[in-house]
Amino acid sequence: MELSAFLFYFFALLIIGSAAIMVFSKNIVHSAFALMFTLAGLAAFYALLYAGFVAVTQLLVYVGGILVIVLFGVMLTTRGYFEKIKTRTVHLLPAALFSMAIAIILITVFLSTEWILAPLEEEVFTVQGIGELLMTDYMLPFQVVGVLLLLAIIGAVLMATRVAGEEEPPSASG
Amino acid sequence: MAEHIIDSIFLFLPEITLTLTLVAAVLADLVLKERNRMVAWVVFAGLLVTGVFVLRQCGLNESIFSDMIAVDPFSVFFKGLLTIAGLFIVLFSVVSKELEQNGRRIGEYYMLLTGVLLGMFLMAGATNVLMMYLAFELTSISSYVLSGFTKNLRKSAEASMKYIIYGSVSSGFLLYGLTLLIGITGSTDIYGIRDALQSSVGHDAVLYLSVMMILVGFSYKITVLPFHFWAPDVYEGAPTPITTFLATASKIAGFALLMRFFRISFVDGGITDFAGYEGIIAVIPWNIIVAILATLTMVGANLMALWQDNIKRLLAYSSISHAGFILMGLVLLNDEGMAAMMVYLAIYLVMNMGAFFIAMIISDRLHTERISDYQGLGRSSPFLGVSMAIFLVALAGFPPTAGFIAKIFIFGAVIHAGWIWLVVVAGFSTVISLFYYIRVVKNMFLSEPPDSMKPIETSRGVMAVVIMLLIPVFVFGIWFSPLLSWARDAVVLFGL
Repeated sequence: MELSAFLFYFFALLIIGSAAIMVFSKNIVHSAFALMFTLAGLAAFYALLYAGFVAVTQLLVYVGGILVIVLFGVMLTTRGYFEKIKTRTVHLLPAALFSMAIAIILITVFLSTEWILAPLEEEVFTVQGIGELLMTDYMLPFQVVGVLLLLAIIGAVLMATRVAGEEEPPSASG
Repeated sequence: MAEHIIDSIFLFLPEITLTLTLVAAVLADLVLKERNRMVAWVVFAGLLVTGVFVLRQCGLNESIFSDMIAVDPFSVFFKGLLTIAGLFIVLFSVVSKELEQNGRRIGEYYMLLTGVLLGMFLMAGATNVLMMYLAFELTSISSYVLSGFTKNLRKSAEASMKYIIYGSVSSGFLLYGLTLLIGITGSTDIYGIRDALQSSVGHDAVLYLSVMMILVGFSYKITVLPFHFWAPDVYEGAPTPITTFLATASKIAGFALLMRFFRISFVDGGITDFAGYEGIIAVIPWNIIVAILATLTMVGANLMALWQDNIKRLLAYSSISHAGFILMGLVLLNDEGMAAMMVYLAIYLVMNMGAFFIAMIISDRLHTERISDYQGLGRSSPFLGVSMAIFLVALAGFPPTAGFIAKIFIFGAVIHAGWIWLVVVAGFSTVISLFYYIRVVKNMFLSEPPDSMKPIETSRGVMAVVIMLLIPVFVFGIWFSPLLSWARDAVVLFGL
């Protein structure tokens, strides 16, 4: 087996396994750590595809940034941060049947499809290409993402601030 | 490239104005005194300027920003409708007591409102799946926050939470479907997708899977059964101006995106003259699936509406059933069907906003949303009662209101294409819908008002808004040819 194929299957197993732990674990801190392995495995996928910039961004933003914020959020909001999440499984049989059906459909469809495959280009420096595309063909989505993030931040501030009865100084707006 | 971008910017002025309005709303909120009213008027002025720029785009047929957005009569029609919706929602928000009492940080409210509108404008024009998804998310994320804006009210917080969860599921379906489509066509813009689908001979199962997922994603947005279940709860819990916005503008934008996506990606350019679905009809009959969805929506929503006692829930189910009527046009996907859909959407916008507005006024003054509390309202406050009755009659589809015209055109187009059974079902569900619309009218006029009920005094501003909404309901009911010809001219999509 080629090295790259071996690495691909290794990271694929890592992603699926840690994703399963994240979903099934009842301890929210365990879930957050499992999520870290999922996200890091995805970064490895990007690196295997020679998308170095995306891989680094994935590490910085998701593993480094968002995950740390998730952990901080967990620690600051819950009373005991190793508190068990109250989970309960409802409608086990229909849900299992439905998921099985979806899985079978997806797997058969994926195996029977001729995907359009782009040849792998061994590029070392992808940043320049990305930058040029962001300023030409993908300029509009790039700008719109900016507006989207602005609205998301303001919306999150709006949702997260405390209102329960107490008066807030107007200068505290975000 | 530089020239193309500069040209594109000049064809993108309505959206740029909206973005500037969004920024101006935040600045006005920081700087101005008496900010609650002033921010609203800043946004109102921004929307008026946007409307002027939209009107100046009439007759253009261009593709801008490297095929990301199309500026064609189709998108101009929808941008016009969305601007009108936005202007009215700002007026509703100014009048709403619910927002005044429970909503702080009104500057952010108007800012998010402008953001949703920007997302909808992009939805109306998007011709690239990346852009489509971004516009979809821009609209959704801001809507989640807006529906929970009065979050110290329990039901509003609940509405927002439900909307986030169901909205994320629908985005997930849409995104998965779009990814699969890119995987088999190797293209992200819808023209490329069409070319790839037409040149490759075998249409794989994955194509049907992906279209199915995309359809599910859209069905959440336009509230088609069986993906409607979030709508009544969210519509009931959200502040009424936002409910109105979600029930009208959000649906209009969703339909615009759905129509453009299906029409361009899946329809063979050469045979669009008669029926629309030849391009993809090969293995699975899509139009029958859409017809079944429309049937389910019309009949199901109207039956469920019969049991509602909350006026906002009732109007929510009514708006779901209207989505079913509009979806009948997508069964045809030809020019006639699309023009009928556009006429329906325009008329639906006015009459639905009117009904929600009066429900909001009554709920602000009487602090009730229960239909059984509407007893004798038509006698104690005749102006509101009569106007509400007119809007409900229009929603039911009676002449001489515009609702009749909307139904006539869509029924006519469907009959013309030979879908007799679909029209029979639609007629049947119209009859069901009469019961619950008339029940409200009966409660308002045929029962004696309780002694405790005082007449609701309406300010001049409120009356002006109601009259502005009443005029099109009557005018388009009698003199409908301009609307029809506008819609027919607007079925021009770039790239067809």
